[in-house]
Amino acid sequence: MSEIFRLEDVTFAHNNSTRNVLSNMSLSIEEGSRNAILGANGAGKTTFFYTLTGVYKPQSGTVYSRGEPVEYTKDGLRQLRSDVAVILQNPDEQIFCSLVEEDVAFGPLNLGLDREEVFERVAKALRDVRMTPFARRPLQQLSGGQRKRVAIAGALAMNPKIMIMDEPTAGLDPQASMEVMELAEKLHLQGVTVLISTHDIDIVYKWADTTNIIYDGKIEFSGSAEDFYNNAENVYRCGLLTPSVFNMNRDISALDGLSPAPYPRNCCEFTAKFGGSKKSGKIVCVAVEEESAVGRYEEVMKELNGTLTGVYGSDSRFALREKHIDFQFDAIDACFTEAVEGKDSVLFYDSIYTPTIKEQYEKLKSIGFDADLEMI
Amino acid sequence: MAGTLLEADHINYSYSRKGPKVLDDMCMKIEEGKKTAIMGCNGAGKSTLFSVLNALYKPDKGQVLFRGKPLTYRHKDIIKMRSEVSILFQNPNDMMFKPYVEQDVAYGPENMRLPKEEVQQRVQEALFAVGMEDYAKSPIMKLSYGQRKRVTLAGVLAMRPSVIIMDEPTAGLDPQMAYEVMEIAEQMHSSGVTVIMSSHDTDLTYSWADELRVLHGGKCMYSGEPEPFYSDYESVQKAGLLLPTVFMMNRTLAGLGREELTPYPRAQSQLSLKTAQHKDVNLGALHVIKAERETDIKAIIEDYDLGGMATGVYGMSARFAVRNTAMPVDYLYNGPENCTMKCLSGQDAVLICDPMMLDKAISSAMFINEHGFGKINIDVV
Repeated sequence: MSEIFRLEDVTFAHNNSTRNVLSNMSLSIEEGSRNAILGANGAGKTTFFYTLTGVYKPQSGTVYSRGEPVEYTKDGLRQLRSDVAVILQNPDEQIFCSLVEEDVAFGPLNLGLDREEVFERVAKALRDVRMTPFARRPLQQLSGGQRKRVAIAGALAMNPKIMIMDEPTAGLDPQASMEVMELAEKLHLQGVTVLISTHDIDIVYKWADTTNIIYDGKIEFSGSAEDFYNNAENVYRCGLLTPSVFNMNRDISALDGLSPAPYPRNCCEFTAKFGGSKKSGKIVCVAVEEESAVGRYEEVMKELNGTLTGVYGSDSRFALREKHIDFQFDAIDACFTEAVEGKDSVLFYDSIYTPTIKEQYEKLKSIGFDADLEMI
Repeated sequence: MAGTLLEADHINYSYSRKGPKVLDDMCMKIEEGKKTAIMGCNGAGKSTLFSVLNALYKPDKGQVLFRGKPLTYRHKDIIKMRSEVSILFQNPNDMMFKPYVEQDVAYGPENMRLPKEEVQQRVQEALFAVGMEDYAKSPIMKLSYGQRKRVTLAGVLAMRPSVIIMDEPTAGLDPQMAYEVMEIAEQMHSSGVTVIMSSHDTDLTYSWADELRVLHGGKCMYSGEPEPFYSDYESVQKAGLLLPTVFMMNRTLAGLGREELTPYPRAQSQLSLKTAQHKDVNLGALHVIKAERETDIKAIIEDYDLGGMATGVYGMSARFAVRNTAMPVDYLYNGPENCTMKCLSGQDAVLICDPMMLDKAISSAMFINEHGFGKINIDVV
């Protein structure tokens, strides 16, 4: 994999301030990687994002985009920003128009795309965040959670190569948070480099392949999450906590004389490691497209009537909204957990997520659990 | 139990005459002295309900009862009621009234016409409780979001209410700060305050609450202990929620026959020991030092030979004592759970604890001992 971004000794202070918000920060980000950006309030996460997008120009040090130093000229910045989309923590800071669809179209129109292309992107983005029925509604009538989704749609419509999400799940209810993580995974599968900053350590522990820790304006750590969490003192100093699954795995493994590795990161992996499962339940995974989903559902469920069902991905969820579904959210983990418990399930999913399901299967295998998986 | 303190009785409320009913025949009771979590998806009506309970909004239909008496919405009664029922709003910027920190915290108590010295003392204590005593003279404009959130919490504490309603108190806070807020909530509960909290963090509320109220579509769809609700997955899903991690793992492990479903563990350390198969391993001892504000902790540690162990702190008086003796502490946040986890790894730990909060401090260790999942020696000095 190649490097998409690099910071080299970047130092930044706000006007007239003697305190460096970023001080000699260096970091390399791989193209297509799933990144968690963690740190206490005030560590410099948001400033780091503004520096990546060229909003702030560092006083010293260099930001490289695809190996080239960022040029702080109009052209240079336009180039950079057509690649990078940011979802700010507070959606009200990035709402520009009064109607939902106008607001989502704002970015793509500024890129100089033709109207048809813009229209298509807006429709798709709104559907991805389940806001299609609100397209013509004034933004001020929407709730905080809904405005957040509109902001996410606006970023999706830019078709960015790099997606930066600053606290994307803050203020959202648990199911909406799961939807956001599904979208982040989808972007990853489309080849987008995704950076998520969040205080919800449990949610990103399940998802990220690279964990980056910011402390006092520096990169304190960048690598595999467990290498950081195994140093409890350091975690504590950085104002963070260890994920609950990590803690429980560490303690039970120690008590039972097992190796903590392989590290379970979610419920199905944890229960597979410690549950003493005998025989896997069967998971039938059905990749569906939006148009054919209902037909597929009826066909499959005729034979498997009464089996537990799950959906993963916004297309499947939308298409099957009238059907009986047991697991509407976080269904990959839920169906594999059922399998660990020896129960059968059917998972209807957007076909783009095939690698995610295979990744889950392989991870369970490395823990010693051979899931009975059928992909159709 | 002391019975119902606050009650919503068949309440309807909409923001405009033709608008949708945000609260729709809402019925709910809050028991005195219980820790109550209010959950529900975005738009379920949580914040609106809070404003109705606090007499900020007058219901279109139905009534609010406080200590069994319906609210009258007369100015005098409202003032009296609000001195007893305080709300901590989700967005701190909605409740900042004054330019400087200490003025803002003093605003509530001053309105209660307390003597000046009393106000001053309350402000100082409240700022200490939220870890903001060094910012007393700072302009609020210069504070970060997390700091503002703490100042507003101090403002509520300084009112010494008998009921506190916290709307998403941990949203936007980093994990350690979130535990600080939970500790303050626990402290208030221990001192007899009825604490009501809304949150989207199912894990955090599950480890904290006695009682759960679930809102959906402006109605209260569940009222009771958390476990029966989470056992009904269909309702959980309908409410826009997910299962708490510890609950879900315990249920799956029970389904596999690895362990019994009950007792339900509520904290990580409880699930860990319930699940581990080797119950006879040596666990560390939990030394709890009951610390009043004037307690000389260093002397106790010397007397009882407790030096060199991992040390945590929990509760107000313990924090005062730690500060007074300039005692170095390893776990400034989530002290009880961190110390219990230390014991799980076979090492002893010292928890410097506010005597008022002893029960909560040793609850995980007690859970483990009582149910035979292991033996942690608890030694209170």
